[in-house]
Amino acid sequence: MLRMRDVARLYRTDSVETVALDGIDLDIASGEFVAIMGPSGCGKSTLLNVVGLLDSPTSGSYVFDGTEVAALGEAKLAAFRKANIGFIFQSFNLVDELTVRDNIELALLYHDVSAKERRTRTDEVMDRVGIAHRARHRPSQLSGGQQQRVAVARALVAAPKLILADEPTGNLDTNHGEEVMRMLQQLNGEGSTIVMVTHSPAHADYASRVVNMLDGRILQERRRAA
Amino acid sequence: MWRNYLTVSINALAKNRVYSIINLLGLAIGMAACLLILAFIRYETSFDRWVRGGENTYQLQTYFPNPRDGPPFFLQMASYVAEERIKKDFPQVESTVYLLAGSPTIVKDGQVTTAKDYLVANGDLLSVIDLPVLRGSKTALNAPDTAILTRSEAVRQFGTDDVVGRTMSLIQKGKTYDYRINAVVADLPKNSHLKINAVVRRDFPSYFAQEREFLTCWGCQSGWVYVKLKPGSNADAINAQMPAWEKRNIPDENFGGGRFNAGDEADWKLLPIADVHLGKAQAGAMTPGNDRGTIATFAVIAILILSMAVVNFTNLATARAGKRAREVALRKVLGATRKQLIGQFVGESLLVALIAVVIALALSELLIRPFASFLDADLTFGYFGESGMLLPALALVVIVGLLGGLYPAFFLSRFQPASVLKANKSSAETPGSGRLRSILVIGQFAISIALIICTAIVYGQTVYARSVDPGYKRDHILQVENLSRYQLIGRGEQLVERMKRVPGVVAVGRTDIGVATTNNSNTGVLVPGRSEPVTLGRYRVDTGFRDAMGLDVVAGRWFDPARPMDDQTLTFPETPEQTRALVARGANVVINEFAARKLGARTPQEIIGKTFGLGISADSGPMPVTVVGVVKDSRFRSVRDPLDPIVFLGTREGTTHMVIRYDGDPAAVRAGVERVWKQAVSDVPFEAQFSDAIVEDLYKAEERRAQIFAGFAILAVVIACLGLFGLAAFTAERRTKEIGIRKVLGARTLDIVRLLVWQFSRPVLVANLLAWPVAWWVMRDWLNSFDTRMALTPVPFLLAGALALTIAVVTIAGHAFKVARANPIKALRYE
Repeated sequence: MLRMRDVARLYRTDSVETVALDGIDLDIASGEFVAIMGPSGCGKSTLLNVVGLLDSPTSGSYVFDGTEVAALGEAKLAAFRKANIGFIFQSFNLVDELTVRDNIELALLYHDVSAKERRTRTDEVMDRVGIAHRARHRPSQLSGGQQQRVAVARALVAAPKLILADEPTGNLDTNHGEEVMRMLQQLNGEGSTIVMVTHSPAHADYASRVVNMLDGRILQERRRAA
Repeated sequence: MWRNYLTVSINALAKNRVYSIINLLGLAIGMAACLLILAFIRYETSFDRWVRGGENTYQLQTYFPNPRDGPPFFLQMASYVAEERIKKDFPQVESTVYLLAGSPTIVKDGQVTTAKDYLVANGDLLSVIDLPVLRGSKTALNAPDTAILTRSEAVRQFGTDDVVGRTMSLIQKGKTYDYRINAVVADLPKNSHLKINAVVRRDFPSYFAQEREFLTCWGCQSGWVYVKLKPGSNADAINAQMPAWEKRNIPDENFGGGRFNAGDEADWKLLPIADVHLGKAQAGAMTPGNDRGTIATFAVIAILILSMAVVNFTNLATARAGKRAREVALRKVLGATRKQLIGQFVGESLLVALIAVVIALALSELLIRPFASFLDADLTFGYFGESGMLLPALALVVIVGLLGGLYPAFFLSRFQPASVLKANKSSAETPGSGRLRSILVIGQFAISIALIICTAIVYGQTVYARSVDPGYKRDHILQVENLSRYQLIGRGEQLVERMKRVPGVVAVGRTDIGVATTNNSNTGVLVPGRSEPVTLGRYRVDTGFRDAMGLDVVAGRWFDPARPMDDQTLTFPETPEQTRALVARGANVVINEFAARKLGARTPQEIIGKTFGLGISADSGPMPVTVVGVVKDSRFRSVRDPLDPIVFLGTREGTTHMVIRYDGDPAAVRAGVERVWKQAVSDVPFEAQFSDAIVEDLYKAEERRAQIFAGFAILAVVIACLGLFGLAAFTAERRTKEIGIRKVLGARTLDIVRLLVWQFSRPVLVANLLAWPVAWWVMRDWLNSFDTRMALTPVPFLLAGALALTIAVVTIAGHAFKVARANPIKALRYE
């Protein structure tokens, strides 16, 4: 599904040049569940952002679903992102002013989807993550686990080819963390491709492949025996 | 404690530069507008208060509150006979004077010029109005053939102000009179209803020996009457006795068998000279007056603009409240009471108001001169004394500081420390504060939009007034003044013939009513079968007038030089015998369509050949006149004035203006006309104006009003936009996370911009709903003061709404783009 070759990402300020990604080669096939691990500042999140087309590589090649996307402009990236990728964040990133239903529906608002279909698909995905009974609540009225389920539902509703999760359990207690991981695993089982950044080896174990990073490079990859 | 507060306030101001600049700039502009308008109001209400002993000096005004025909009419002028009788009848009167409006000619270095603002007095003006004498004596005008000059006029005429004892010669009524200059007075300040360059004293009975009717005519208001009462007298008591005074003094006249009395419709009233400028009588004023309504409007608008700035202050303070929530929480935790916190925040807003007022004072000092010259007013700007600005400025600080600071102070001090500290949130929005902000923004834009609409309509009406079809061909006319000078008596026809030969001249006519002339002459017309006479404007014209003016004859014919009955010329001086002979003979007249309607005709054709009784003099009965022609209605005056119903009398002599229709180069025609004039009449100055320049002058006041409204509208829009800019900045900041989420979910930059622009467009759109009806109501009233007016269409309303929306969108688009283009990663990671 995606292929990266010699991808680098540099951040320049006036005096300092930081190498966040340095010669990354990475292939992810359809249906995989990849966990990216590594210490803070090793470039996990930068990699996830580049994968998610929120950031562009400074050099190198990135082919997503047969298209070279490394050099695309902002508008095209946005269109590509919209069509293909769903995001789950550590801090949920729900809009406080909107209800659960509206937060989920937001992901369809920028797609060419009729209001009726938006409603149907939102209902469907709320059922799937088990949050339907909270549809009219605001994010602040939910527990962390519930909020993350809403975030997952929002990532799912547009039926993306790829789901990216940036430390989805980072703000949750153990029970809620496990609950979210089980849900991601189930989604993967149903066919979704998932890339997840995590600090927790236990949660990384839910993935089919674990990529370890250090100082902007991929240190080792290990596949979990199927 | 207070030092801590001060440090915190100054830091808060310095840390948020955009916010501080918006607040200070907005408040300073609003305060400066208030201070300037205050200077203007003080100026407008200071008129003639500088006259020593002025509290006992009054102007006798003539009112026509309910005329049988036509609208109410309030005149500053009075008749000569009224002055004589008021002096005789009321023992409270100390002294009186009659000042005749006139512009004598003056010969200087072989050139004749019109001496402007020279008044002819029948008595000692200085004993009634105590003008400050610089040279000479206070009794300067104690006898006929004496004169006083202002210092500027003395310098203009003699090159020095050391002129006491010198002689000044003036040509009046065709004769040269010598005056001994007995005093030089200070130039009158601009805040005076008087406009005087010189006053000369004449003996009126001999001056008017050839027009004796003037001396006893109650309806001839050609000058001003001033009355000084003895100290302690009550003018109200005299005003109360005026109806009885009228009955005692005004004789009945006989007109076509009916009794007529000049006092029937007229009332007389003594008005303190300090009240003349803003009084209800503004017709026949020496200087343009003003009305309290206009001044109040300005004051209200200035206050509205200031309140808009205060709204910005409140809005931004509550919007930014979240940023200070932690400070409030900490202070509370450390033991601050709510009262102390309110004191702190109100103190902060007082500090802001204080800084703003300093900027406002600087702005006012910079702007007072251009503002004064625009208004043609002597505005002063000092800090101390009665007209000082220091006290009003301090009052502004207190009012603005409290108004702007109290709500935010209560709002901020309400935060509960536990929840603020625990949540550790960047936004501590309290529900409802957003709605309040929206309402306030709506109010601001409603004011802005209403002012834009007013500007558009006032301007539109000015354009309309200049371009509306006046009913005659208004372009290509050169109008020559001074035809009524005594020097020209008997020479009019010869002058016309010579003018016709000037290259480029197409037609020449003489008239008492031309392009925006100020003559006003009415007469009663008796209609067979009706007991009350119909009032019509009565104006003399010659046979060339129709072609020169371009009038359309809609029925019958125009005056024909070959028909003696079309001509009713009387040779000067008119004798009673001459008048009686004319009345016995009768004459043909031409009237306009409006006059035909007033005389009862349904169509113009219907009235041709009909005969009516026309009043031409008080002594003779009505003259039988036969209507031979009807011309289309013409609007000779400002569109503010009602259309005149007119009866035109054919004459060969005695008109006031010459109307010259030309073709080709205007400058060449004017030069040719001037050459001919100077050859023909060396003793009357040549004064002429093109019709388009006359019309331009006519609507100067409206144009100035449009400019003032435009100025106010610009200020209002600027302040509203400052506020919106601040709110947009704040909102963009507060919604960074949400926008990041939307972008990650696929929103394009354009989607985000649209979202933010829509959020801020909504209050502007709603503001239209408030502004439209108010502006419509006010402007309909204003337009109703014009006799003919532009149609009040939705166009200015829609335009104003669109303009305000555009300005608002442009104001916030910058923020919207900046936020919309930002990389969402930052927004989402660094919460």
